[in-house]
Amino acid sequence: MLSLRNLKLSFDGSQVLDDINLDVKKGEVVTLIGPSGTGKTSLLRCINLLERPDSGFISLGGLDYDYSRISKKEALNLRRKTAMVFQQYNLFKNKTAIENVMDAQMVVQKKSRKEAYEKSMQELKRVGLEAKVDAYPSQLSGGQQQRVSIARALAVEPEVILFDEPTSALDPELVGEVLKSIEEVAKSGMTIMLVTHEMSFARDISDKIVFMDKGRIAESGTPEEIFSQSTNTRTQQFLNKFYTAVH
Amino acid sequence: MFDIMTVFESLIEIIRVVPKTLLLALIILLLSFMLGAVLTYIQSLNIPVIKQILDVLQSFLRGTPNVVLLYLVYYSLPLAISYFLSLFGVPFDPASLNSAAVVIVTFSICYSVFQSEIIRGALHSLDKDQIEAAQSLGYSTTQTLRKVIVPQVMTEALPDTMNAFLIIIKALSLAFLVTVVDIFAQARLVGAQTFSYLEAFVAAALVYWAICGLLTYLMNKVENRMRRGYV
Ligand SMILES: Nc1ncnc2c1ncn2[C@@H]1O[C@H](COP(=O)(O)OP(=O)(O)OP(=O)(O)O)[C@@H](O)[C@H]1O
Ligand SMILES: [Mg+2]
Repeated sequence: MLSLRNLKLSFDGSQVLDDINLDVKKGEVVTLIGPSGTGKTSLLRCINLLERPDSGFISLGGLDYDYSRISKKEALNLRRKTAMVFQQYNLFKNKTAIENVMDAQMVVQKKSRKEAYEKSMQELKRVGLEAKVDAYPSQLSGGQQQRVSIARALAVEPEVILFDEPTSALDPELVGEVLKSIEEVAKSGMTIMLVTHEMSFARDISDKIVFMDKGRIAESGTPEEIFSQSTNTRTQQFLNKFYTAVH
Repeated sequence: MFDIMTVFESLIEIIRVVPKTLLLALIILLLSFMLGAVLTYIQSLNIPVIKQILDVLQSFLRGTPNVVLLYLVYYSLPLAISYFLSLFGVPFDPASLNSAAVVIVTFSICYSVFQSEIIRGALHSLDKDQIEAAQSLGYSTTQTLRKVIVPQVMTEALPDTMNAFLIIIKALSLAFLVTVVDIFAQARLVGAQTFSYLEAFVAAALVYWAICGLLTYLMNKVENRMRRGYV
């Protein structure tokens, strides 16, 4: 459904992503883990072209694109098949929760106001925010804002939703409600790519774990294979550091 | 003796020129805003020599009183136009230039410097996160501009721009120097006719004050609307 071939990205001469190959099947949850600065965020941002890779290929929803010669129109097309949930929520500050969810449907998908409203209501209910539809982001907690942003991503019915550390900016007591919403999204059959440091959540929810290190995919497999049976020393080091940090 | 009735009579005379004054101020505001936007854009390009020239020009405009600039334009603009048109063989009588044009040109140039700063400040405060959110949802460049960038810039720039509008209205009181009749000039004329300068200027002050109060009220309403959701 989504596949990346030979994706390369550099920032001012330093290779941030080096020859990434990755396949994601429809309805799968694929989680990227790895040390800080290894290019997890960059990889997600390449998929929706917030970052422009130097070279490589992506196919998504049956269409193939060559990153090195992608046109403006193709780029827009690609973005319209993906949605992103940012670490800092990135909501439109001057719009209410429901307007945030409605806007892209009306602007990009040209839906009528009524249609967009109904769809938005439905998605906000799904993340448990039907009581807050008219609140502005500044009137919502971080967890609630992130759930609005999840609803906004769902509402455009993308082929895949990209989550970049969706709970990292949250107070610990608000993490649970957002994870619950993500789980909800996963259960609905949505294809998901997730970057997170919530290891036990990753283990529970993922079909596939990708361990990234220094701009490369060092290892990938089922949660069981990565978390319990990995023989890769870098993976073990990373996970050990993690467990000692947490426990 | 101070006569309240004369104040009222003057008031009526003065109010007649309010629309013209507001229109002049509005034209100047719009032109200076556009000029300011162009200025901001050119400066953002950082072209070596041009940037220095603009810097000097800006410091000159900032450092010179409006009255002086007004006279400079008053005496040079007709000559400049006449010279320019003569290049194309079009005859032009320097004395025939409408003095309102002189006022518009002068103040538009003057205030473009301030508008440019307002715009720069607003652009600086642009929230990149919201732009990326729009892009990630597939908004085209124009859609992002229309739906995300312009509303943000407008919200940021509105209070200062409205302030500039009030400043321009008041600065127009210099226009009488080149025979353009605004609120202040009208008050002088009315005062001269009735020999009641004090009443006429009291009336003028009341008119300025009323305009200022009304615009401030409207401005706050609009601003509150636009800033909904901001803390
Ligand atoms: N816009 C940019 N310009 C230059 N370098 C960048 C830019 N964005 C990221 N980088 C660099 O690219 C590398 C990968 O960054 P990235 O944010 O993708 O890592 P990450 O795996 O998401 O890390 P973290 O876990 O800390 O979020 C880092 O070395 C970073 O400094
Ligand atoms: Mg990151």
